[in-house]
Amino acid sequence: MSVASPGLHLSSTGSYPRVGDTHELQLLRRTISGLDRGERTTADVLDAENEITRLAISDQVKAGLDVITDGQIRWYDPISHLAGKLDNVKIRGLLRFFDTNTYFRQPVLTGKPVRGVPLITSEYAFACNALGHLPTPADKAGKLSIKPVLTGPYTLAKFSHAEHPENGEPESFASLESRAMAYAEALALEIESLAQTGAELIQLDEPAAIKFPEDWPIFEQSLAPLVEAREKAIRGGRKVELALYVYFHDCTPLYEKLVGLPVDIVGLDFTYDPKLADFIASAGSPKPLGLGLIDARNTRLEDPEVIAWQIARLMPKIEGGRAYLGSSAGLEYLPRDRAFAKLELLGKVREALNGLKGAAR
Amino acid sequence: MSREKLKSLGLKLPLFPTTSVGSFPKPDYLAKARSEFTKGKITAEQLVELERKATKFWIETQEKLGVDVLVDGEMYRGDMVAFFAERLPGFTEGGLVRSYGNRYYHKPIITGEVEWPGPVTVEWWKYAQSLTKKPVKGMLTGAYTIMDWSFNEHYPDRHATALALAAVVRKEVEALIAEGCKIIQIDEPALSVRPEELPIAIEAMEATTKGLGAYFITHACYGAFEHIYPGMLDLAVDNFDLEMSNNDLALLEIFRRKPFTKDISFGVVDVHSHAMEKAAAVRERVEQALTLLPKDRVWVDPDCGLKTRTVEEAIEKLRLCVAAAKTFRN
Repeated sequence: MSVASPGLHLSSTGSYPRVGDTHELQLLRRTISGLDRGERTTADVLDAENEITRLAISDQVKAGLDVITDGQIRWYDPISHLAGKLDNVKIRGLLRFFDTNTYFRQPVLTGKPVRGVPLITSEYAFACNALGHLPTPADKAGKLSIKPVLTGPYTLAKFSHAEHPENGEPESFASLESRAMAYAEALALEIESLAQTGAELIQLDEPAAIKFPEDWPIFEQSLAPLVEAREKAIRGGRKVELALYVYFHDCTPLYEKLVGLPVDIVGLDFTYDPKLADFIASAGSPKPLGLGLIDARNTRLEDPEVIAWQIARLMPKIEGGRAYLGSSAGLEYLPRDRAFAKLELLGKVREALNGLKGAAR
Repeated sequence: MSREKLKSLGLKLPLFPTTSVGSFPKPDYLAKARSEFTKGKITAEQLVELERKATKFWIETQEKLGVDVLVDGEMYRGDMVAFFAERLPGFTEGGLVRSYGNRYYHKPIITGEVEWPGPVTVEWWKYAQSLTKKPVKGMLTGAYTIMDWSFNEHYPDRHATALALAAVVRKEVEALIAEGCKIIQIDEPALSVRPEELPIAIEAMEATTKGLGAYFITHACYGAFEHIYPGMLDLAVDNFDLEMSNNDLALLEIFRRKPFTKDISFGVVDVHSHAMEKAAAVRERVEQALTLLPKDRVWVDPDCGLKTRTVEEAIEKLRLCVAAAKTFRN
């Protein structure tokens, strides 16, 4: 089935661990340390990133996923990887990223952030190429899809700040709204570029939108240029959908507003509120959902039968009968072996779901 | 109130007591020895000998500088959660997870009932206290933070995990008190990460300290305190040790809206900057504190543990703290 077909797709939610405990899986860490000591070059680091990206994609294929990401292996963090490539943005010190006990480098705007070069388009193209070179199961040949991931403009803006101009003029981007709209303009160009390169599904991560609901009007406004970029790509003959993903906070209070946004798919973190599934089973969804039912923040493996039961009652309530089962957030917060076990769990859930359907017949 | 508590414990501290948050940089010989120990090149006994040497160095250094309430400097610890997880039954070492950039650590996994194996920090505290007549703080990590920074495969939820850990930390507190420790710091840097869970952190701290005879400090840093203030003041401690300087005293603004009602260890030097503050700037920070806080409630210290600084930088930052405090005493 294609990425937009009805049914349950097994999907990555973005990131994947960059290191594991084996020598092979320490390659990137070793190479970056070597670069810091002046013993390796940036070209060596690029080679290592390529290799670890291939392994991340390979793990997803092995686990039976349908929608795959590059694991965001090259990302220093979810904020500075994008913001740092824009003109007029400096990257400063470390700040805690939500409740993850990980840190991101804060962008500081010295002017309007402008997309002078593509942000992740070449990373997406590399991932497509890498996937093409991997052996895939016969029943999945030509059906696997790479999904590029972008951090959304509101989250980027929320974690950036503007520098005071030295000439005493007022700050151009002191307001959250102005920063969000400037980032949106830059990301809209990236969405067009990704669509041109062949992306049919683009994930937009906006975890800050549910953590700071008081900013909802700004968040909603900042989506408009991205939606317009998708429309432009479609008018140009491209097939592309936007999947908005929110996580790291309880999304239940904002559920109705989230599914009312002009995106094609809404991805939700089910781990913060055990009642979210009940709520959706009752209220339904007017659009396809990303079902983040697998906890990306804890090593404990869920019971596939329990998850399958949840999905079985949600699917009939989801418009078009289309959903994307995945982890509640990217898997980089888990050790590599546990992250892979969570990927394998997705396949076990599908098997259990098939078992439930068989029993019902 | 807390001055009276200190007095009742037999502690006579000057106004603006000076202290530090816990960790100091490990001298080069110790950093090298820790690396050699992991490679099996030296024995545990050889490593401990060097850890004791480094502890002695830091106790003597703090005394020379005139610090009032000392710490052992944590020469024998790495990560503040992993140190306890490695010693408590119920924990298993997890695989590597990223902290930031190219930094990774082994995040512990709770795989069984957590238990207190007997004193974990007491021998180190006793050793450090034997080197000085000034009070040395007992240094522990709080139950909420240990829970938040570990994976959990055993307990049904975060609340149950935090309370199970609180029972374990309480036993360590009791063991410290039994040996004569009168000031105990229980660090909770994860305190503000999930504001909706503040009641869990409060319940866990109460379960840790309630009814025990010591002056309790908690340290928290780099968090969104505006979301948990003033509720955080319900934590069952006498003193909050807070990072104030890294964010240009922005926390004072929230104190302005609702008074801060406990003792405070007021961070007057930024530990994440190699740059050395000017003495006048440090004094200015204390002055700012005194616009909102009574002078008998203010302690003076760095923002956070100094372990990421060089030995020389750490000493200089401590010297600045002591100098500022003395100015105001006079």
